[in-house]
Amino acid sequence: MAMNYNAKDEVDGGPPCPPGGTAKTRRPDNTAFKQQRLPAWQPILTAGTVLPTFFIIGLIFIPIGIGIFVTSNNIREIEIDYTGTDPSSPCYKCLSPNVTPCICTINFTLDQSFEGNVFMYYGLSNFYQNHRRYVKSRDDGQLNGDPSALLNPSKECEPYRRNEDKPIAPCGAIANSMFNDTLELFQVGNASDLMPITLKKKGIAWWTDKNVKFRNPPGTDPLEERFKGTTKPVNWVKPVYMLDSDEDNNGFINEDFIVWMRTAALPTFRKLYRLIERKNDLHPTLPAGRYYLNITYNYPVHSFDGRKRMILSTISWMGGKNPFLGIAYITIGSISFLLGVVLLVINHKYRNSSNTADITI
Amino acid sequence: MECCSLLRTLVHRYCAGEEDWVDSRTVYVGHREPPPGTEAYIPQRYPDNRIVSSKYTFWNFIPKNLFEQFRRIANFYFLIIFLVQLIIDTPTSPVTSGLPLFFVIMVTAIKQGYEDWLRHKADNAMNQCPVHCVQHGRLVRKQSRKLRVGDIVLVKEDETFPCDLIFLSSSRADGTCHVTTASLDGESSHKTHYAVQDTKGFHSEEDIDSLHATIECEQPQPDLYKFVGRINVYNDQNDPVVRSMNTFLIVYLCILISKALVNTVLKYVWQSTPFQDEPWYNRKTEAERQRNLLLRAFTDFLAFMVLFNYIIPVSMYVTVEMQKLLGSYFIAWDGEMLDEGLGEGPLVNTSDLNEELGQVEYVFTDKTGTLTENNMEFKECCVEGRVCVPHAVCNGQALPDASAMDMVDASPGASGREREELFFRALCLCHTIQVKDDDEVDGPQKPRDSGKRSAYISSSPDEVALVEGIQRFGFTYLRLKDNYMELLNRDSDVERFELLEVLSFDSVRRRMSVIVKSATGEIYLFCKGADSSIFPRVIEGKVDQIRSRVERNAVEGLRTLCVAYKRLVPEEYEGICKLLQAAKVALQDRDKKLAEAYEQIETDLVLLGATAVEDRLQEKAADTIEALQKAGIKVWVLTGDKMETAAATCYACKLFRRNTQLLEVTTKRLEEQSLHDVLFELSKTVLRCSTSLTRDNFSGLSADMQDYGLIIDGASLSLIMKPREDGSSSNYRELFLDICRNCSAVLCCRMAPLQKAQIVKLIKFSKERPITLAIGDGANDVSMILEAHVGIGVIGREGRQAARNSDYAIPKFKHLKKMLLVHGHFYYIRISELVQYFFYKNICFIFPQFLYQFFCGFSQQTLYDTAYLTLYNISFTSLPILLYSLMEQHVAMDTLKRDPALYRDIAKNALLRWRAFIYWTLLGLFDALVFFFGAYFMFENTTVTSNGQVFGNWTFGTLVFTVMVFTVTLKLALDTHYWTWINHFVIWGSLLFYVVFSLLWGGVVWPFLSYQRMYYVFIQMLSSGPAWLAIILLVTVSLLPDVLKKVLCRQLWPSAIERVQTSRFVSGPPLGSHPLASL
Repeated sequence: MAMNYNAKDEVDGGPPCPPGGTAKTRRPDNTAFKQQRLPAWQPILTAGTVLPTFFIIGLIFIPIGIGIFVTSNNIREIEIDYTGTDPSSPCYKCLSPNVTPCICTINFTLDQSFEGNVFMYYGLSNFYQNHRRYVKSRDDGQLNGDPSALLNPSKECEPYRRNEDKPIAPCGAIANSMFNDTLELFQVGNASDLMPITLKKKGIAWWTDKNVKFRNPPGTDPLEERFKGTTKPVNWVKPVYMLDSDEDNNGFINEDFIVWMRTAALPTFRKLYRLIERKNDLHPTLPAGRYYLNITYNYPVHSFDGRKRMILSTISWMGGKNPFLGIAYITIGSISFLLGVVLLVINHKYRNSSNTADITI
Repeated sequence: MECCSLLRTLVHRYCAGEEDWVDSRTVYVGHREPPPGTEAYIPQRYPDNRIVSSKYTFWNFIPKNLFEQFRRIANFYFLIIFLVQLIIDTPTSPVTSGLPLFFVIMVTAIKQGYEDWLRHKADNAMNQCPVHCVQHGRLVRKQSRKLRVGDIVLVKEDETFPCDLIFLSSSRADGTCHVTTASLDGESSHKTHYAVQDTKGFHSEEDIDSLHATIECEQPQPDLYKFVGRINVYNDQNDPVVRSMNTFLIVYLCILISKALVNTVLKYVWQSTPFQDEPWYNRKTEAERQRNLLLRAFTDFLAFMVLFNYIIPVSMYVTVEMQKLLGSYFIAWDGEMLDEGLGEGPLVNTSDLNEELGQVEYVFTDKTGTLTENNMEFKECCVEGRVCVPHAVCNGQALPDASAMDMVDASPGASGREREELFFRALCLCHTIQVKDDDEVDGPQKPRDSGKRSAYISSSPDEVALVEGIQRFGFTYLRLKDNYMELLNRDSDVERFELLEVLSFDSVRRRMSVIVKSATGEIYLFCKGADSSIFPRVIEGKVDQIRSRVERNAVEGLRTLCVAYKRLVPEEYEGICKLLQAAKVALQDRDKKLAEAYEQIETDLVLLGATAVEDRLQEKAADTIEALQKAGIKVWVLTGDKMETAAATCYACKLFRRNTQLLEVTTKRLEEQSLHDVLFELSKTVLRCSTSLTRDNFSGLSADMQDYGLIIDGASLSLIMKPREDGSSSNYRELFLDICRNCSAVLCCRMAPLQKAQIVKLIKFSKERPITLAIGDGANDVSMILEAHVGIGVIGREGRQAARNSDYAIPKFKHLKKMLLVHGHFYYIRISELVQYFFYKNICFIFPQFLYQFFCGFSQQTLYDTAYLTLYNISFTSLPILLYSLMEQHVAMDTLKRDPALYRDIAKNALLRWRAFIYWTLLGLFDALVFFFGAYFMFENTTVTSNGQVFGNWTFGTLVFTVMVFTVTLKLALDTHYWTWINHFVIWGSLLFYVVFSLLWGGVVWPFLSYQRMYYVFIQMLSSGPAWLAIILLVTVSLLPDVLKKVLCRQLWPSAIERVQTSRFVSGPPLGSHPLASL
């Protein structure tokens, strides 16, 4: 290349662009953004900066955890399994489908009194309410009172969409499998007399569900008229407009129904059944003592190895009894505190060595 | 304004920087669509290849012809008259003017019709002319008019081109063809054309059929000799980032399939227990029940695939493309890379390679014009052993004092003076310089002054420098007029020499000659060329003195040329004429015969002297090379210059240092020893060095190692590359590569352009598959620029061809430093984080979904709502990473420039290696476990509200999702080292957007949705205290290990980058330049 004669081969060999002329158009703007020199905060995660964070996390999390743990421990909760798989159980007889209606009574004792509002749940196990086929098997339009959806439910409801050429209201597998045991609670008094405990049906569903999402078909006629042309779900005994005598708790806006329709996340779940409101400040809502649980046993769970439970629980600001959160907070708090200490040691050693290195330079 | 320029740049991205191009077109070679994942082109419609020279068709003949005819004034006038006569009562009958008019029109129409019919016939003949096309690997005959843009055409010898063609390959081994353009411009000479580098290997039809490429080029334009285009050949990508991305993708695909398989199998295992598959509360429809088991299993498998498909980050490619496109603007915008003199900044011709700039291991650089200014300056000449130095040297501009010169030696005698003048005349005559026309008008009379630099035009700057240098000795070349060369001698007389022959330059002979006849009738042959090609032909003259001077000059890095002459008696000239004529008219092997003739003519010369031209180093070239070497990049200089000159330049730009031990593989040495011996000897030396290197690494003192520099010349290289007879061709290559690997710098001199590409290829395909970068400025560098992974053109003086063929063009060599060390580093860091983060966030996203299958009877129930599934990658987590990948600067720009060693930290794709990938994936898995089981234990068999009401599965999913969005975004926030307001805005903004969106999404019964499952779910969740506590806890737990890892790594095993960051943070002044500081 001593002599660049071979540059002659250049096909497009125009002379290089003269300077000037194009120069102005090519000159980039000198903004900070384009030069990548925007003012910026440049944090770096070093032991020094992270250390206080670890300690702070530890110091905040541990007390929170203890608080939650104590709160959770103060919650009274009792669980009674009434599936009746055990032959000694009073409900054992109800496992056979022949006995209808089957009523069984389980007695239990509260060692401590339950104070404040007490919540009564029913719990089911191994019940896959979150199965895909099950979850989608509903028609929200129908449940919202849409008249067209009432008479022509969504295809998602199959195979619980129509029965004997009539649309099912409410359609779908969820509605069809609604929990239909009846639970009653009696306190055994001093003289072995049974005092029924008032169970409140309302206030167990989300307010928005009851008032917005779920609506009966429109109209001023009696509910039966409004549901005309539909039939009850296959497994139901009564049609949907006869779920309750209270007009405000009947049809689609029946709260038991609404609660059931909110599908549970996990195969073991509990759903709110009734409220037991506290009477006054002097007496505990459920004093310690013996109780009878009267069950109208309708709901078959034996076929799929399910379990049924009745749960009585008091509630704190953070809900029911759940030790997990408290323990987790305490654990994480301690770990981070410990890590803080470890880091402190490392940092200390490192700083020493780096200092000596600085000196040697 | 911004948008406008964006649009313009978009349009220009593929037009290689021409300002005035409106649009480019894209041609699919062989009509093959580009593979997915490449740029999306808008397919263009092209007309067919029909040639239409006729004016009319059958249908439009009458109206169009009438219109044409009545456009003539006379006809129109008669028509008007005729019409007037028709309308009003006129003295003469309309027939009188109508009939003649009709007749004239008729005759003209018939004539024109006939002519047009002839044209139709000619067109048809042309259009139906058979053409050979390659289609589906077979040769097909087609009519010329049926050719479509994108067809691959085979043209045999002496055939006419049916259309505009791009030369893909030829039957000749070197990929050339000779074309005459007689039918276009009347020039019947043969022009050599070279096939496109990438495709010249495709010889057979099958080969061509496997070619998958697109061509982007400018729209048709009137200039016959100009064509600029770019061919993209799609083949295996060697881009490490893309390679890593693809491997990671395959890993994730495997994970996806195995997840789906595991779930399908488990589903059927689980269902085998009675009543699990179909409990009474959850019956199947009749159709479902009827379905065949295998079919059901298969649909289940597919359903799982669909459910988990989000694990493959589809939006990653879009984001990567966006990042590359937008990111490349930062290079073009860089004000520090703007050259004030040229007024030009860097050009980005492709944005696909931004991150490769951070991975470069080998830099191949041209010398002339790249390392040096290519601004030639006449330094001295040596006549008869005396050295003459132009008195006043002022950047190539002579002072008017024409006689000013400085005789170093004693003043010459009379014969010496004669020789000296002959020498200057020789330099004035022996060249191919043209004088610019506009100067010529008044040129000969007026003494030329400072403005004349632009007056000389030559393809070689050396020639211009020489002629201009000679001007300072009093001899001025004026012009070539009517085959007479005119020059102005010292006494301001015009001397005229008749130019008889030009024996033009070629790179094999490395010299050129002219034969001129002086006014007195004497015939001279002047020859000018490289010393190696002149000395052997010299029979007289002070050879030794001149040789020593030439060698001295070469060592100083000057470009030297020798000048010799020979006086021809008329008989001799007759003989020469005949010889040349015979060679020129030869039909076969014309080049060879010409070369032979030249060889015969240029003998028995008398040496006159030598010249030295300095090509100054570009500013900061040495600094740049030093920085690149510190960055662990091996710099190779590939030049056509001779060894001494090149070596001197290498010393000047610190490629070789004083303590560098030079190893030579040169022709000179090979004459003494066989190639085999030389290579083995060298490898022994080097291997000794490398073993000691490993030892020294232990003692931590490798910095002061003996380093080696290798010098090899083109001839020896071709010996090494040549396959040996016994077939063991790779032996020498491997040995040579071994030697090269252990040398810190390599200089390849006397390189032909193709050899440059060969060298690049050799390294590119060596074992480690290193990323190569080639930088050059001239047309002779184009082949290596195209061959290397990253091609950089210096917008130089030797035309813009290199810049146009490159991936990036920079104004000066020194800009390479910022290009690699800053931009390359940033882009690599950014894109690797982008890739890793995408995989991470998607595993966070999908793994909980997988876990949920174990709790919902393997029923493919989604954990999240459809809206969340859709928007997660699109909007909740997309912008922060995109902005990160555009803005992130983990270390300040100036630090990167100051401390080139930081570049080593990211070498060899460090951030995308398996370790990093596995770390990110494990982190993703851990986080996913935390999200899922955190929520699981929260929800398990309890209530979390203060009113005792229960939550359902959608609240569960929303909780997991919320924790995930926050964790994933905050993880990025932890990785961000450069928080501009944009980062703040985007990170906090996207979190806010998530919350606002969720509130809205759940706050209204959306009438267009068939389900209302999200209604109030998010708000209800927020109304629960434990949900808040859980979110805080889970986000903390998810981020904790990453923070811990970061802090510990930084503290215990800091990388160079981390050390620099820390030192800036802790103590201010950087410690990073002392790698041992913290050991």
